[in-house]
Amino acid sequence: MGAWRLLPFRKADAVENMAVDEAVFRANIRNKALPTLRFYGWRTPALSIGYFQDFAKEVDIGACRRLGIDMIRRPTGGKAVLHDQELTYAVIAGTDSPLFPPGIINTFRIIGSCIAKGLMEVGIRAEMRAEGRATPDEALGSSCFSSPSRYELLVGGRKICGAAQMRSHGVFLQHGALLMTFDPARTCTIVLPHRDREEQVRSLRNAVTSVGEQAGPPVDEETVCRALRKGFEQVLGIRLLEGVLTQEEEELKSELMTKKYGSENWTKEGCKSWISGL
Amino acid sequence: MKLFPDDLLYSREHVWVRVDGDLATIGITDHAQEKLGEILMLDLPEVDSYVEKDEPFGSIESAKAVVELISPVSGVIISVNEDITDDIGIINSDPHDTGWMIIVEMDDLEELNDLLDTRGYQDFVIREAEVD
Repeated sequence: MGAWRLLPFRKADAVENMAVDEAVFRANIRNKALPTLRFYGWRTPALSIGYFQDFAKEVDIGACRRLGIDMIRRPTGGKAVLHDQELTYAVIAGTDSPLFPPGIINTFRIIGSCIAKGLMEVGIRAEMRAEGRATPDEALGSSCFSSPSRYELLVGGRKICGAAQMRSHGVFLQHGALLMTFDPARTCTIVLPHRDREEQVRSLRNAVTSVGEQAGPPVDEETVCRALRKGFEQVLGIRLLEGVLTQEEEELKSELMTKKYGSENWTKEGCKSWISGL
Repeated sequence: MKLFPDDLLYSREHVWVRVDGDLATIGITDHAQEKLGEILMLDLPEVDSYVEKDEPFGSIESAKAVVELISPVSGVIISVNEDITDDIGIINSDPHDTGWMIIVEMDDLEELNDLLDTRGYQDFVIREAEVD
C-alpha cells in the first residue's frame, strides 16, 4: 500500500491558497516527492477565474470590492468560482503513477471516484456522468458550475463539485471545489455577464447543489475532510500520512505569493514571465 | 493512426522540432494532441522573447486542464504562428505542419543531441503507455 502526504484542512486567503498548491506542484516537478492530498478553506471569500479567462469580461470588480470578495487567477483551467463556504482539495502527483490511467479525463474520473466515495460517508450519493450534463445553460454565464464538464460530480443532476488541472513535466495538479453551502444570488452578482438576474439565479440554483443541502444532519468541514480522506484511501488503496510543507515548498510559496498571486498584473492580465527562475 | 514524421526530432515532453540551420520550428506532436483532445485556448510568447531549454514557452488548455509547453531548445523566438490564433483547431488537425507554434534561433545546437529521432520517440511513447 503506497503512502501519500496529507496536508490537513486549514483556512488561508486566496493568495496563499493558490501559492501553496503551485509550490507543491513545482517542488514535485523538481524532486518527484510523494503525491500530496491537501484540504483547505478560504479565510476571506474569493472569486477565482481560470488561467485563460478574460478578467475584464468575467469579473464585476466593483461588486467584488463592495462585498469584500478577493479576486484571483488560478494556475488551472476552467471558469469562475466563488469560494466561500467551501471545502477545496488539491491533488499533486506524477502522471506516471500507476493509480492514474493516461489522460486528463481519466485523472478527473479517478479523483472524482474518491470524492464520490467520501461523500457517501456523509450520506450523499453523488454520481459521475461520462458526458456531464446535456447542455450548458446560457443564462448561467461564465460560472464554473454552469459548465457541463465530463466526470463532474452531480447529485440529482445538480453539480456539487467542480475541478480543474494544470500539468507540466510529468506532474499534475488538480484542485476542486466542494460546496458546503451555495448562494446563487451572490455568484450572479459578481460574475459577468449580467443577464436577467432572476433567470440567472433560478438557473444556477437548478444547476448547483451543496453538501449542506444534501447531507442529512448538518456536517462541518472537518467531518467532510475525514470522509474524503477515507474515500481517497479506499479507492486508491493508499495510506495518507499527515505532513507539512517542506522548507523548499515554503520558500516557493513565499516567492509565488510575492511575484505571482499577490500581483495585480497576474490576476488581471495573466503573465508567464515569472515562471523563469522558479 | 498516429503520425511520426521522419524529418523531425522529438522531446520527451511531446514537442517536435524541425531543424533548418540554427533555426528550430517547434510544435506539439500528433501523439500529444491526441492525448489532450480538443485544444480550446493557447498562450504563446512574443517575438523577440527568450526561451530556455526545459522551461515553459507557453500553455494550452484542454478539458479544463492547463498544460505547459516545454521548450526543447534555448534561444530567441523569431516567429510565432499567428494563424493558430485565428483557428486553434489547426493544432489538432495538422500538428506537424500548419500547426507549428514558434521558430527559435538556437543558442546551442548541441542541445539537439538530447532529442529523439522518430524511432526513439515511438519507443518512448510505447514505454510511457506501459508505465501508465
